[in-house]
Amino acid sequence: MDFNGSFNKVIEELVMNVLPSLVIVRGHRFGGGAGMIWSSDGLVLTNNHVVARRKPIIKLNDESEHEARLISRSPEEDLALLKIDASDLKPLEPAPENPRVGELAFAFGHPWGQRNSVTRGIVSALLNAKTSQGRTLPVIRSDAPLAPGNSGGPLVNSRGQVIGINAMIMGGDQSLAISVQAARNFVLKVVGEEKIGVGDQQPIPEGVL
Amino acid sequence: MSKNVLVELSEAMAEAVENAGKATVMVNARRRMPASGILYASDLILTADHVVEREEDIKIVFGDNTEKSASLAGRDPGSDLAVLKVNGSAGIVAAMTKTPGRVGQIVLALGRPTNEGIQASLGTISAVGGPVRTGRGAILEQYIRTDSIPYPGFSGGPLVAADGSVVGINTSGLGHGASLTIPAALAWKIGETLASHGHIRRGYLGIRSQTVEIPESARSSLKSQQETGLLIVGIEKDSPSSKGGLMVGDILTSVNGTPVLHHDELFAILTGEIVGKSTPIEVLRGGTKAVVNVVIGERK
Repeated sequence: MDFNGSFNKVIEELVMNVLPSLVIVRGHRFGGGAGMIWSSDGLVLTNNHVVARRKPIIKLNDESEHEARLISRSPEEDLALLKIDASDLKPLEPAPENPRVGELAFAFGHPWGQRNSVTRGIVSALLNAKTSQGRTLPVIRSDAPLAPGNSGGPLVNSRGQVIGINAMIMGGDQSLAISVQAARNFVLKVVGEEKIGVGDQQPIPEGVL
Repeated sequence: MSKNVLVELSEAMAEAVENAGKATVMVNARRRMPASGILYASDLILTADHVVEREEDIKIVFGDNTEKSASLAGRDPGSDLAVLKVNGSAGIVAAMTKTPGRVGQIVLALGRPTNEGIQASLGTISAVGGPVRTGRGAILEQYIRTDSIPYPGFSGGPLVAADGSVVGINTSGLGHGASLTIPAALAWKIGETLASHGHIRRGYLGIRSQTVEIPESARSSLKSQQETGLLIVGIEKDSPSSKGGLMVGDILTSVNGTPVLHHDELFAILTGEIVGKSTPIEVLRGGTKAVVNVVIGERK
């Protein structure tokens, strides 16, 4: 088997599949964060802490810039849902199941402003974080290196499906991502079931939510 | 999306973590966060010595979340290994690798420091080296270094190959805080001795010394071209060296006929085998050769 050739090819394919769904979110005067396209008609998911003002600017992978409306934000879960006026966007597919510890994970974002960066790691741990309100929030710790600018970007599995939303950097080498299940619940609360996982042809089983 | 090599690799690693994770246990024997251990025989757990801060009330949590009390069967601060014993058969035993670790090999560091399941980080073997002096008074015949992230509580947990077999045991207690891996074959061997004898015997002289150059003029009296030796700068009270008649100012040049140029050679000589034996130690005293017989003690 041409191991190197096929290995590089599938990684390239994975990256090419994810990048059109990766956006830049400019919410601060300085810098910015990442975000991902959640529905083909313009829903964008990112971290709450990336969105400092009510009308952040979203820059898509095709370089077009859009003023976004803030649909909902949850400081507790550090999630925010934005909407831009656009259509035929390419949303990411959420992973149908919880990830397993040990599986490959790729973090997409713009660390230190380096656009469309991809870092590789594995799912290191599946943990429950305590929110400021005392609720538990399922999070994924990975060993993929993250830096400021990765926040709000997707953590994807080897199939290119979203497993988490990159959120925190603890102690320099510990990356936490909010589980995509928590993100789905957050979006569901806001926009109702019909908007969930547009582009994802599978019906969402109740148990997964 | 069909399976490709990336998906296959990803699934294989998750499988390796799941399999090796069954034999990776939580070791709760210190005040701060628990550490990890490896079930390497049906009732024996190998862990890092430095995470066993108390010898009573040691709790083990297994992969299926069952908890058992354990007792300390043996410990070796020198190599930072300890063996704990639980009552009865405890579960699935770790499989040791059949091939030693190689530089470049993909490995996973595993730990179970919490009740929330197995944890892992990915890396490659960066170096295989040794022998090395541990800074805890022992020579480690071989060690492995990796670039995997040593998460808090990973000490005592396994480093596993892509097939889930154990390549070594991870500890942050030997490398001045940096993580180091003791190869499985060596760790298993030390573990066996600890399980049956409780400790590893090491020789003890009771000297403090530093490496010095042997003057050209003295080399002829030694009848050797040995370039360095160990200048004795301190003798511990009531130690084997003080009883045997070693003195501050002596330059130690050989033990039992084996030249000693640096500390490492002395450590290699002071094994458990020569404990209690009268051993000729050659020194330079006032520029001339002298031989002193010392009964080697045991390091506590």
